[in-house]
Amino acid sequence: MKRPLITAVVAVGQLALAALAVAPQLSARLAGDTYLVRVAPVDPIDPFRGAYVALDYPDLRHGGSRSSVEPGLGALEDGESGEVYIALAETDGVWVGAEWTRTRPTHGPYLACDDRSWQVRCGIESWFLPQEDAREAEVLLREGAVAELRVDARGNAAVVDVRAR
Amino acid sequence: MTDTASPAPPVATRSVAPHQLAWLRHELADWTSEGLLSEEQAARISTRYRSEHHARVSVGRVLLHLGAGFVGVGLIWLVAANLDELSPVARFTAVAVLWLAFLVGGESLAARHASPPIVGAARLLAALGFGALVFQAAQSLQVPAYEPRLVGLWAVGAFVHAYLTRAAAPFLVGVVTGVTWWFMQPLWDAQDGTAVVVLLGAGAVLTAALAVLHDGWIDGFAWTWRTVAGGMALAALFVAAIPGAAGDGLTWSPWLVVALGAAAAATIGAAVVRRGARILEPLGAAAVLLTATTLSLWTTGTDASTVDGADWAHAAISVAAYVVLAVALVALGTVRGHQALTWMAMVGLVVFTTFQGFAVFAPIVTGAWLFVVLGTLFLGTGFLFDRARRELVQALDATDRTSEGTGR
Repeated sequence: MKRPLITAVVAVGQLALAALAVAPQLSARLAGDTYLVRVAPVDPIDPFRGAYVALDYPDLRHGGSRSSVEPGLGALEDGESGEVYIALAETDGVWVGAEWTRTRPTHGPYLACDDRSWQVRCGIESWFLPQEDAREAEVLLREGAVAELRVDARGNAAVVDVRAR
Repeated sequence: MTDTASPAPPVATRSVAPHQLAWLRHELADWTSEGLLSEEQAARISTRYRSEHHARVSVGRVLLHLGAGFVGVGLIWLVAANLDELSPVARFTAVAVLWLAFLVGGESLAARHASPPIVGAARLLAALGFGALVFQAAQSLQVPAYEPRLVGLWAVGAFVHAYLTRAAAPFLVGVVTGVTWWFMQPLWDAQDGTAVVVLLGAGAVLTAALAVLHDGWIDGFAWTWRTVAGGMALAALFVAAIPGAAGDGLTWSPWLVVALGAAAAATIGAAVVRRGARILEPLGAAAVLLTATTLSLWTTGTDASTVDGADWAHAAISVAAYVVLAVALVALGTVRGHQALTWMAMVGLVVFTTFQGFAVFAPIVTGAWLFVVLGTLFLGTGFLFDRARRELVQALDATDRTSEGTGR
């Protein structure tokens, strides 16, 4: 093979691998349905990641557990760790967590999450905003807001917007 | 032999280290002066070899690779941490442009036969840049950065680059990230000491088989795979011999099964493709895997203040197994001319003997006597090991003399 062709194959192959790394999130954005979920702030700016608003979802937390230092949905506290699935149900125009299971629900909608770190994470725990907008968003979140999620058939989720309720 | 009717056909020259070429020329001059060779024969032998200057570790090469490493890591850090005015898409685009520039730049330099250290530095930046690309894509789309599959995909990308271009720098990045993923992915599901031992042993089998498969195909990669195999085998027995490191036995996970399956498949592949004694390398690594796993699952007394018969037996068998492995690695290093293996085996044995000595004797022997016992143990092991190494080298030299003209 000629060198330009080899270089092109390497570039395309590596781009495909990068896409594979984020395939669940891409799938949620491209093929998911829209769900509105109540949202609250945890920490306005994570200094190691730029201007990301860390989001908390009061209606998706399990029992009375709370997330604190870093964003997350609390803990399942069943002595296991791994995949967690949160079945969603609609209440008063927003979606709330109805059931937390270790086995994938047979029908949706549900969120596919993970609690191998010390709390449940669903890939929807932070939202990027420029520095100035992040401070405004913090005020908005305190006054009550909803996150617009895209969730695909496999439970992969992505935040696409945060707005006043 | 000296006079031929027609000129000899052109012979491909071999690259050798400068000090080897200097030694050969010195010997050729001696043989010529003694009448063993004619001037013409000496000249013809001499033209078969050329000095491989790039094999030397020059200051320039070290600085270039060090600089490329720092720039690569710095770029990942810079983009991930400080460009907070950029949107996720803009950050990803910035990283993608840098990665592509390094990739295309490195390959363009290689095509123009630029200085190998400069090409290597550019390729190292491209391999690190691909890692930055994967992690920036993940960050932009809220994928947790600690997920093992990101490291695994980085390794796959680096290997794609390395194997298509036969490039050493991306290969080394691939090996480092690949080895990291090898442990990170299975331990993501279940963490226990025996799983680490099994992963080390299976890793040794897989990389030993890969080394055999690469022999005569890509020799540089074979050298690295063989080094990794030796390191993993030594580490497997080391961890297995630590008293109480096993925990409550082995916790199986799907990835652990995949790891063992990959090791078995590579061994079968090596047996089919490279027939002969070479298959002893992955088979030897498989013996290490079995021994290490058995030692790890063999739990002796839990009371650290006393040493009973089972503890002594565990320690004695561990030391014996480690010495056998070290001697085997020295033999392999001697046969293959692989100095790194020999050194790894010797350093590994020193560290292992000292560690085991403390682990076994510390509870029952204290103070100055501990040092006396340890020193005696160490001297005995060192003496036997060095004697075995010298006898092995002599035996191999004698074999070479009797079967002159045959390859190793």
